[in-house]
Amino acid sequence: MKLGVVIGVVWASRKVEALDACRMYIVQPVSSENNPVESPLVVADPKGLAASGDKIVYVTSTDAVEAFDSGFVPVNASVVELVDVVV
Amino acid sequence: MIFAKVIGTIVSTQKDSNLNGKKLLLCKEVDHSGKPLETYHVAVDAVQAGEGSFVLLSYGSSARMTDETKNAPIDAVVIAIIDDVQITHQFK
Repeated sequence: MKLGVVIGVVWASRKVEALDACRMYIVQPVSSENNPVESPLVVADPKGLAASGDKIVYVTSTDAVEAFDSGFVPVNASVVELVDVVV
Repeated sequence: MIFAKVIGTIVSTQKDSNLNGKKLLLCKEVDHSGKPLETYHVAVDAVQAGEGSFVLLSYGSSARMTDETKNAPIDAVVIAIIDDVQITHQFK
């Protein structure tokens, strides 16, 4: 799981059925000090947790599929937590 | 998921039987602003994308997680046609 900040939204009206109600965000990975690391990526938000500017925790790879209840969704990254504070 | 631009289709007659009936698209990876990057991908089309479309592409084992691509030897699939990308938060 990695830390990131939501910096943008991806709008797509035609997408695979499993992703119909799911928002897609552009996320900038950050360090614990809130500095950008790596380049931004597209992350799905299955539970509708995030909004623009929020700090989130996301998972990548096969684990991203597990974030969806169906477990059968073609995604590479998913939001799993909304961060309140990093101490 | 990554952004890509569809730059062509791939036609093949001799292929794995699990790929029969699937449209293969040649995609060039781009960044969120549409600027082309170096990488190319051959992806299965799950959303009837056409040449020139700005699409979202899923890769790796996740690519098999659609009805179109399950049980097939596939590692990239076009999952959405992008209407717009908005950068809403300037990172400082």
